[in-house]
Amino acid sequence: MIGPGATLRRCLGEPRVQAGGALMIVLLLVAVFAPILAPHDPGDQDLLRTLAPPVWTFGGDWSYPLGTDSLGRDVLSRLIFGARVAMRVALFAALGAAALGSALALIAGYYGGWADWIIGRAVDVWMSFPPVILSLILMVGFGAGLNNVIVAIIIVDWTRFCRVVRSEVMTVTKRDYIPAARLAGFTHMQVILKEIVPAVTPLLLTLVSIEMGIAVVVEAILSFVGLSVEPDVAAWGVMIADARQSMYEAPWSLVAPVFAIFVSVLAANLLGDGLRRSVDPRLAQRLVVVR
Amino acid sequence: MVGSGFGIIYRRLLIAVPTILVVSVLIFVVLRLLPADPLAMSMPPNATQQEMAEMRHEMGLDRTIPAQYAIWLGRIVRGDFGRSIQFRSSVSDLILTALPTTLELVVTGLALGIFLGLGCGLLMFSWRGTLKEQVADVGSIVVMSIPEFLWAILLILGFGVAFRLLPFIGRMDAQITVPRATGFLLVDTLLSGDISAFGSALEHLALPALSLALAITPLIMRVLRSSLFDTYVDEYITLARLRGLSERHILLFHALKNAALPTVSLIGVQAGFMFGGTLLVEVIFTLPGIGNLMVQALHNQDLPLIQGIALVYCVIVLVINTVVEVAYLGLNPRLART
Repeated sequence: MIGPGATLRRCLGEPRVQAGGALMIVLLLVAVFAPILAPHDPGDQDLLRTLAPPVWTFGGDWSYPLGTDSLGRDVLSRLIFGARVAMRVALFAALGAAALGSALALIAGYYGGWADWIIGRAVDVWMSFPPVILSLILMVGFGAGLNNVIVAIIIVDWTRFCRVVRSEVMTVTKRDYIPAARLAGFTHMQVILKEIVPAVTPLLLTLVSIEMGIAVVVEAILSFVGLSVEPDVAAWGVMIADARQSMYEAPWSLVAPVFAIFVSVLAANLLGDGLRRSVDPRLAQRLVVVR
Repeated sequence: MVGSGFGIIYRRLLIAVPTILVVSVLIFVVLRLLPADPLAMSMPPNATQQEMAEMRHEMGLDRTIPAQYAIWLGRIVRGDFGRSIQFRSSVSDLILTALPTTLELVVTGLALGIFLGLGCGLLMFSWRGTLKEQVADVGSIVVMSIPEFLWAILLILGFGVAFRLLPFIGRMDAQITVPRATGFLLVDTLLSGDISAFGSALEHLALPALSLALAITPLIMRVLRSSLFDTYVDEYITLARLRGLSERHILLFHALKNAALPTVSLIGVQAGFMFGGTLLVEVIFTLPGIGNLMVQALHNQDLPLIQGIALVYCVIVLVINTVVEVAYLGLNPRLART
């Protein structure tokens, strides 16, 4: 028997979880303390120093460590404030999509029947549509704003959770201890909350951390085409779109936000992959069989 | 239950029709949330009240939303997608002009991605249990963390700006013209017999296709490796070894075909995601495909065009899903008999 304590220890001992978790914590701290960390206001323009080079190249200085963009705004400060947008979207969109998707998955997988049929068809319809296109259309309907982005991502991405969690719920529901719990006098709600939810939680955690990366990318795509946050908010996608206009003169202001998005997604993927490895018994078995 | 290839196509059609209907309702409802007035955008500023009312009636905007939907749907069934507000021309013409660019990009990107994914997956599996595998594993997570539009920018910075090896704007050098036969430049240039034009088209396609490919390569590679692990537990692998077949022969001729099934279904599941990725790749490489058209339509709130392109995206994902399912059946004939 492996208790929850042992699973937790195995998770925390997995190098991928450590690396991904550490990166994610750093990003969250940067987002929280952005006003203290950033050397300038992200909207401040120094029109005498537009497209200033970063500090390590000729002509750079410490007043703008990563240089400035075409409007003379500090790239580092915009990057740091951009983490606020990215991390808010990552956390709330991932948790929201997880909540909606797994609630529907529990209903579909546990009760089956017509509820399962309707939810299954809804997933099919959603899957037959490129998520990027759907989120763009939703944003045109909703209008700009961080909360709207979060709602749009939840509406688009709940299916990622629903599909996977539903089949896991169905597997768990077939196990002996579920009818046993019913015979012992548990209500359906109690069975779901006390037996099924704990059983699917490890899978859910893996999916949430991967979804955090996806949410960062979707927000970046939306802000790249100008359909995300309000125009005065610093977001990584907006930075990419701006820097693309001057990529010959100032390639670094283009590389910086690309790198920031990459690090966020990498953190989420490492965390997700590490969690999957440490909670998936099939994988542990496979390693024994093959090696 | 699955039936033959035709059975799948028939069954898929039965699913596709209601799916497209539901998608069209969703798009229609979401777009009616818009604060914008499509009427005001399609009329000159000096239009009289009388003209406005006539136009409103002509566009069906004086009806209820369900009635508007019914009119729109009725026209679509007859192949009439309406007129674009910003371009003042037929939506279906605009889409048909742009579609080959997108399809060319998807097909080359997908083919390249599958090729690289299978190659890397096999290589990584043959390294199993070594340090190389560990490195490749972490490497694949790193590559996986770069979505296609970031690949597009990185490839432009690397090959286009820093080394100036490959072009990254448009589909072909501006001074070359090729008569349009199919709209697929790779085909049209060959049909016209213009080899330098073909080369130019191929060069221009290289970076966009690679951006798409790199986004799917690590996924395919990881799924293939993992299903190869599952396959190698089976008895027939041991039997093949006992028969004295080489490891390479077993991997390529026995295990790969069986292990390919989860990879094929991954491509099916990911079809929507991959296809959506073309949108930003088109924008970044200024390719005149339906993704670029869609972004313009979204910015100008060109409702008829948005609705038309959205439906086209949906239809193409359904087509890709059907093709994948037929391929799945081809790889695993057992499914047809059960």
